[in-house]
Amino acid sequence: MTTLGDSLLASGVSRRAFLKFCTALTSLMALPPGMAPAVAQALARAKRPSVIWLSFQECTGCTESLTRSTSPTLENLILDLVSLDYHHTLQAASGFAAEAAREHAMKEFDGKYLLLVDGSIPTSDGGIYGTWGGESFVDILQQSAKGAAAVVAIGSCASFGGLPKANPNPTGARPVSDLVKDKPVINVPGCPPIAVVMTGVLAHYLTFGRIPELDAQGRPLAFYGETIHDRCYRRPFYDQGKFAKTFDDEGARSGWCLYELGCKGPITHNACATVKWNAGTSFPIQSGHGCLGCSEPDFWDKGSFYKALSTAEWGDAKTLGVAAAVGVAAGAAAAYLGRRRQDRIGKED
Amino acid sequence: MSAIVADRQGEMPDAERVAKATQGFLRDFGRTAAIYMESCIHCGMCAEACHFYEVTGDPKYTPIWKIEPFKQAYKREYGPFAPFYRMLGLKREVTEPQLEEWQHLLYDSCTVCGRCSLMCPMGIDIAGLISDARHGMARAGLVPKELGEAAERGEREGSPLGATPKVFKERIAWLADEHEIQIPLDRGKAEVLCTLSSIEIMKYTASIVAMARIMKHVGADWTFRTDGYEATNFGLLSGNAQWQKDMSMKLIDAAIACGAKTLVLPECGHAYGALRWMGANMYGKPLPFRVLHISEFLAESARSGKLRLKKLAKSATFHDPCQISRRGGAVEAPREVLAALGVELKEMFPTKGTNWCCGGGGGVVAIRRADALRYKVFKLKMDQIDDTGAELPVTSCSNCRQTFDDGQAHFKWDKSMNSLLELVADNLIEA
Amino acid sequence: MDLLTFARGPGMHWATTVFVIGVLWRLLGMLLLRGRKDLSEPRSTAAWKGLRLIGLRSWPRKEFLGGTAFGEIMGYTFHIGFLVALFFYLPHILFFEDIAKSVIGVNFKRVFGFAWPYLPGGAIYFFSAVSLAALIAVLVHRIASPVKRMLSNFDDYFSWFVTIAPIATGMLAYSHYGAPYPTLLGLHLVSVELLMLWFPFGKLMHAFTMFLARGVQGVDFERKGASL
Repeated sequence: MTTLGDSLLASGVSRRAFLKFCTALTSLMALPPGMAPAVAQALARAKRPSVIWLSFQECTGCTESLTRSTSPTLENLILDLVSLDYHHTLQAASGFAAEAAREHAMKEFDGKYLLLVDGSIPTSDGGIYGTWGGESFVDILQQSAKGAAAVVAIGSCASFGGLPKANPNPTGARPVSDLVKDKPVINVPGCPPIAVVMTGVLAHYLTFGRIPELDAQGRPLAFYGETIHDRCYRRPFYDQGKFAKTFDDEGARSGWCLYELGCKGPITHNACATVKWNAGTSFPIQSGHGCLGCSEPDFWDKGSFYKALSTAEWGDAKTLGVAAAVGVAAGAAAAYLGRRRQDRIGKED
Repeated sequence: MSAIVADRQGEMPDAERVAKATQGFLRDFGRTAAIYMESCIHCGMCAEACHFYEVTGDPKYTPIWKIEPFKQAYKREYGPFAPFYRMLGLKREVTEPQLEEWQHLLYDSCTVCGRCSLMCPMGIDIAGLISDARHGMARAGLVPKELGEAAERGEREGSPLGATPKVFKERIAWLADEHEIQIPLDRGKAEVLCTLSSIEIMKYTASIVAMARIMKHVGADWTFRTDGYEATNFGLLSGNAQWQKDMSMKLIDAAIACGAKTLVLPECGHAYGALRWMGANMYGKPLPFRVLHISEFLAESARSGKLRLKKLAKSATFHDPCQISRRGGAVEAPREVLAALGVELKEMFPTKGTNWCCGGGGGVVAIRRADALRYKVFKLKMDQIDDTGAELPVTSCSNCRQTFDDGQAHFKWDKSMNSLLELVADNLIEA
Repeated sequence: MDLLTFARGPGMHWATTVFVIGVLWRLLGMLLLRGRKDLSEPRSTAAWKGLRLIGLRSWPRKEFLGGTAFGEIMGYTFHIGFLVALFFYLPHILFFEDIAKSVIGVNFKRVFGFAWPYLPGGAIYFFSAVSLAALIAVLVHRIASPVKRMLSNFDDYFSWFVTIAPIATGMLAYSHYGAPYPTLLGLHLVSVELLMLWFPFGKLMHAFTMFLARGVQGVDFERKGASL
């Protein structure tokens, strides 16, 4: 493996551009600015690692997010800097040739390659709902994980099960961490994740050779340590009690808080409010739509995207109707028993 | 809790007493009492309204605490979650020692005056619940002895104080002779049936004469009857529901027997509650006659012009008998009469519905061991009346009057209580 | 299942169900007991006017005010603070409207012509703090006063706890203090669910029985002309 530094030089990236990149990366990873030179040094010396990317029950949105650019970006740099030895969308090979490339990389870099996974893994009925080359996703994942140095679950599907896992989960979709127990797994959720978050995680691994600090859901704290709400520029409106009631009312036009329109910002951990999307252009709330909570587990099953966070799943009118009937019946029965007891006491005289 | 040893009637094992207490309590229970029992939030404000708590500062006199064993029994036996209370042992069964301990609280320290009911933020009629609770105590043979004896005598002889029909007849004859006034007795037909309390027959006989004179003055077609003259009801006071009914029925039957359109109750507080408000329920039908307290009769007579009074140039203050005024609703009647008398009325504070109880009602004045407590309460009344600067304290209940007389003697107070009835009789403009 | 998902899901589902069953059970269990007809001649035939006791008994007669003033003032301070925080904070309003819309089909604006008003978060926080302070004051009073201490049982203390917990956790959640926000929110919801679970079985039912007891006394006393 050639080093990253060598590859960069070879592709015409100046030392200056490289340092700029490393400074940006340092701040992105929430490291002290003084660490930038150390990051640069480490990255320059890093061996260009083999990366195997497995795509399972996914929509390719994560890849789209990662590659979305019209000019050279940090994301592209990273993709160029790693040796992406297997990726369904980006690779040239297909069929048996592609599988052969994957197996070759796994053998040659055994114990050292980075396994990236997007999409969830269907497990019902022996895993037949997801196969390629006659093998189930379950088997492919387990085989591929054996020799990986670390596994990165890209996107909400790989991290938490995502859309395929949503009720009623007909294929028995499960996240990577459910099936890979003996390797470190980093969850990088989002539907899709922010491009620079994905690359930032990779960069951290490349720089330090270990996985970053993770939260209880296995997400890197550097990017998922805060909620959207805590960094939202519309927060003053939330505090003042100024809420948009419809998508085009006066409040909406004035950029008021979208809590009433279903924003799940308060309980969603991600970097959207600070890093934003499309090279810092905007993020859903800025465009006038509430946060869907897409980097949280099971966000598809947590109630409507358009109902406020406080409208919990309390049941339904029918259930309460039944409860009311039960209450009335029980009360009537209790009163009947009371009256009967009273009569019995009266008779005892 | 207290060093008082409870009085017991009859020989029965403890378990039987408890069973009978629960029976007695639940038998006459209903929706209203249940709503009250479910509503207490333990705020303790009822204590602030109770004269017994006021003069001792002892928390055990908190009104709602007085019915605690019965609240416990209700929740365990009869409430909506009663089976759970029993199955999970969340409310213990009431015990006999507990009931004995509570005798003092239910009888010695409660005059059923109803100030607590008026205070309760939740609107619980605590005084009413005390009467219900006494049903349980009476059935269990746990009534204070003097009260129990008076009730037993009343049921057996027709009077708690020995004013049997024979004695009553003799008294009437003697009074008629002594005061040269006709006192009709046992007329076959009369528009008005008058009744008396034994306290008047035995002690305040001037009231009987006063009544006779006033009836003559207003031209009433009236009578006393030996088959129904005793308006006090120690069945009610002791909590014996059967005796309460027996005693009320005597009056009701007598009124029906002589075809009376009006039954006049004497200057007695609980007599008013017993007949005016509970009588019809004892009878099982609406009463076929009106029931009036003597003060209401006097007020009506004054209004109609039948009662012609000399003006009494004195200042007076009126002590409201709890069962007539606050609980009974006849607050203004005595004041109308006092206005007709032309006295200068100086109301005490508090007055009318919130007036302090004399401390002797509800049977308390009969209980010897409660005397010390009662005297403490009486101080409140003396201060109230002294503060008005009025010359004449007036009331319209012989039990209050008796309590005042006893208190006056004990404290050597310089004021005597006056009967409204006697004041009116003393100031009639005779034709 | 994490705390917040539980609290917003099965926790709330079961709490509302038990609340509805319990409240109706308890109310009907007392209302369907035997009523005793009063055959006495009423002093007033408009006894229904006695229902005004429901409003009237909200403040003691001045003759009783002396010893009861502290309890009354603290009680109202707590209740007003609590009710403002509960009913005039938008996230809460949305919760209630969601249930109302689902159960009875209309929302506030449709019925009243204007939207359910609400206060900014800071004002709600203030009312919550006042309410919390009042609750602590009444607990101290309950323990210090001989009358209240004697009367008090498990119900009194537990009801106090399930009432203060939502207020305290609500304030903590609002200020994001002490734990990650989703955890604080989860705790707040769970504390509300505990309140709902306990509500039908203890003294918190006074929210309903208050109308019944005052109503019954009012009508009974009005009928007799007795003092209200």
